[in-house]
Amino acid sequence: MLRWKYSRPLFGLLLALLALAPILGANPLSRPGLQQTMAVAFIWGGLALTYDLLFGFTGLLSFGHALYFATGVYVSCILINHDVVVWWLAALISIAVSALLALLIGAASLRTSGITFAMVTLAFGEAGHVIIQRNFFNLTGGENGIALNADRIPSFFISVVNTKFIYWAALAALTLTYAVIWWVTESSAGRVFAALRDNELRVQVLGLNTQRYKLLAFVISAALASLLGAVMLIAAGSAAPRFADAGVTISLLLMVVLGGAVTRWGAVIGGIFYSIATTRLQDLTQQESFKTIPKWIGGPIAEPAFVLGLLFIFVVMFAPGGLSGAYYRLRLRAITKKSQ
Amino acid sequence: MNALSVSDLHVKINESHILHGVTFDVPAHKVTALLGRNGVGKSTTLKGILGLYPGTGSVQLNGREIIGVSTYKVVQFGIAYVPEDREIFSSLSVRENLALASRSKDNGAAFATIFELFPELDSRAAQIAGSLSGGQQQMVAIARALLNKNEVLLIDEPTKGLAPKLVTEVASALAKVAHETTMLLVEQNLALVKRIAHHVVVMDQGRVIFQGGPENLNDPAWVHQMLGVSGGHK
Amino acid sequence: METFILIGITGIGLGALYFLVASGLSLIYGLMGVLNFAHGSFLTVGAFVGFWVASKMGFETSMPEFILAMLVGGLAAGLFALLIEQLLITRLYDRHIDQALVTVGVSLVVGAVLGGWFGNDLRMFPAPMWFLSAIDIGGAKIPADRVVYIATAVLLLVGNWALLKFTRIGLIIRAGVENRNMVNALGINVRRAFSTVFFLGGFSAGVGGVLVSVYSNGVSPLIAGTYLIYGFIVVVIGGMGSVPGSFLAAMMIGVIRQFANYYATGLGDFVVVILLAVVLLIRPQGLLGKVRA
Repeated sequence: MLRWKYSRPLFGLLLALLALAPILGANPLSRPGLQQTMAVAFIWGGLALTYDLLFGFTGLLSFGHALYFATGVYVSCILINHDVVVWWLAALISIAVSALLALLIGAASLRTSGITFAMVTLAFGEAGHVIIQRNFFNLTGGENGIALNADRIPSFFISVVNTKFIYWAALAALTLTYAVIWWVTESSAGRVFAALRDNELRVQVLGLNTQRYKLLAFVISAALASLLGAVMLIAAGSAAPRFADAGVTISLLLMVVLGGAVTRWGAVIGGIFYSIATTRLQDLTQQESFKTIPKWIGGPIAEPAFVLGLLFIFVVMFAPGGLSGAYYRLRLRAITKKSQ
Repeated sequence: MNALSVSDLHVKINESHILHGVTFDVPAHKVTALLGRNGVGKSTTLKGILGLYPGTGSVQLNGREIIGVSTYKVVQFGIAYVPEDREIFSSLSVRENLALASRSKDNGAAFATIFELFPELDSRAAQIAGSLSGGQQQMVAIARALLNKNEVLLIDEPTKGLAPKLVTEVASALAKVAHETTMLLVEQNLALVKRIAHHVVVMDQGRVIFQGGPENLNDPAWVHQMLGVSGGHK
Repeated sequence: METFILIGITGIGLGALYFLVASGLSLIYGLMGVLNFAHGSFLTVGAFVGFWVASKMGFETSMPEFILAMLVGGLAAGLFALLIEQLLITRLYDRHIDQALVTVGVSLVVGAVLGGWFGNDLRMFPAPMWFLSAIDIGGAKIPADRVVYIATAVLLLVGNWALLKFTRIGLIIRAGVENRNMVNALGINVRRAFSTVFFLGGFSAGVGGVLVSVYSNGVSPLIAGTYLIYGFIVVVIGGMGSVPGSFLAAMMIGVIRQFANYYATGLGDFVVVILLAVVLLIRPQGLLGKVRA
């Protein structure tokens, strides 16, 4: 058994601790600063997991995933700001919109595969990015995005003191995303996804409609990405075009590869790690001691893409399974040694 | 003296164990026919010799061990290959297909010999290979294997899918060349095999089950047992 | 009418820039099956090196001097491409997805290094005076720089054609794009062709980078991103592995983009992206592409 028998109980304990930490008295997570950082990290962890469903589990290399995340952010923001519906209904509607969008785009794109599919999804993603940036219909606020109107959302999301509610919302969204994806991948549909990744022809020969399964994975991951987008709206306080950038999807790819594409928890860890690393690196560059490093080293290090890019190259070349792959390799060695 | 010695060759393709210790010899300057029903591993054996599939065991070319060596180097040592589906380059002209395969400094002399054997290629030298008929494409595939001075020719079902007249033409060309070269020929066409083979190797289920002279090919019962569509052998 | 011609030629000039990026991408994918996301880095490297050479000559360069800057930039980019290929790509032989991922990593690292050293802001790359002079074509005053872009692209197209048609390495590349394994089975070390193709791709991207910088009035690590995306769009629409296809597609896209932008700013990007989606859904192998096995 590759899974360590204590891993599930320990994981449950960790989740409980993370959930209770903000009210457990003096610990790092009782402070709003770290709560905000972790909230964003949880959102990215969840996003990475939704991307993993597409890429790691079903073998669909999409370059336009950011579109659905951004849809969640923007649709929720617009609905709330214009006082169309109450905040939580706005979030639900944004999920529905994303799912519908994914259904349409997926139905078209999934007629292609491989690199062509990657390019088509890139095209649609970029189209969305451009629409948001050019402020069509004067809805999306253009380059600067839209600030969320604080009056329209419950007071427990406002002000620094209440950061823990944002933290809890993010943790809840991550947990929900994980639960849904766990359920989907463990189900019989999930087995088909894995089979699709390895050999689509074999699945077709079994008489299964591969198109429908691919579309299912596509829509589910888009819907969950949208949920996380709605939470990001609350965490960030605004909707901005950078959420729809192709760079976001590239970052997700990095997160998933770093964490390990084939495992769920690997992708989540990859996302959380990436998010924290980016923030910490930026903090690092503000330190006084950092300013003494010669510019030709310090300059690149200040850019998160440098360290993360190098790490990424290292992982792809020498440790393709990422963090979780390495973990399971060590587990395997430990188990085989035990049985000798 | 054996031009090619295959010993205990195992080849796995994607977890499928195709060749289970294939062992046989290919005597120099003679034609050895590699026979067997469909799917027993004949093509895989040729590819294993060339290194197109990774294999374990031993393959010796005139005493030199070539197992594990990169395909292009194996070919440069003097093994020419005519694959089962011809695999000529349809976007290149006939002349370009030949030039690509040629390793000689002076293409003129090498081409002259080829055009003698296959006069039709001479007249179509500038034609795009993709527009050639199946038989003509087969000639290109064989011709380019004959361009260089090779120790061994590996030929995989050269008459497959050809009309009878073309089969005769290909057979004549091969027969002409058979005198000076060592050939390992995979063929289903027994008439051709009887005409030019000096040595016969029969395979079944990834193993060699017979090595010897071609006399048995005249015995229908033997042929049926070795190569017929029976449910395996004892 | 003059506006029409001006926009058209500007579009073709832009298309020429796209082609410089796309031609290398197309061959690299066609022959090696590698989706080279680092191609934008080659462009940036060429841009910075060309910028440096031009600055040493005082920017107000004559035509031969400017050509020198372009060639040096191209050479630097080509050598860098070769380095990447030898260090990283060859070790991932036949692992196509990993090769593509590694190039993503390279693009991030190079962007970060150059951004860290030189900053992400635009560094002025003033065009030499003769670039800005106008040439009269059909009543419209065309800036000379557009002609330079088009001339460079055409030279590249012709050079590429000549290489493929008349040289042995060109023959190997053409055959390899069709069937890589058979080329090996003919005793040819096809990997040497890979290195050549990577170098040439880097070279043309580098030359393109110098021109792009002049067109954008400055060098910055951030410019390459758009050109890389457009490069991919051109390659996919033109057909993977087909350099003439890329040329055709690049010209089309440049012109369409300019005309769309004329009617509404920003419409250009949107139209191109929709065009890509449409082409892919109707004819996935592109205009002149072969369906790759």
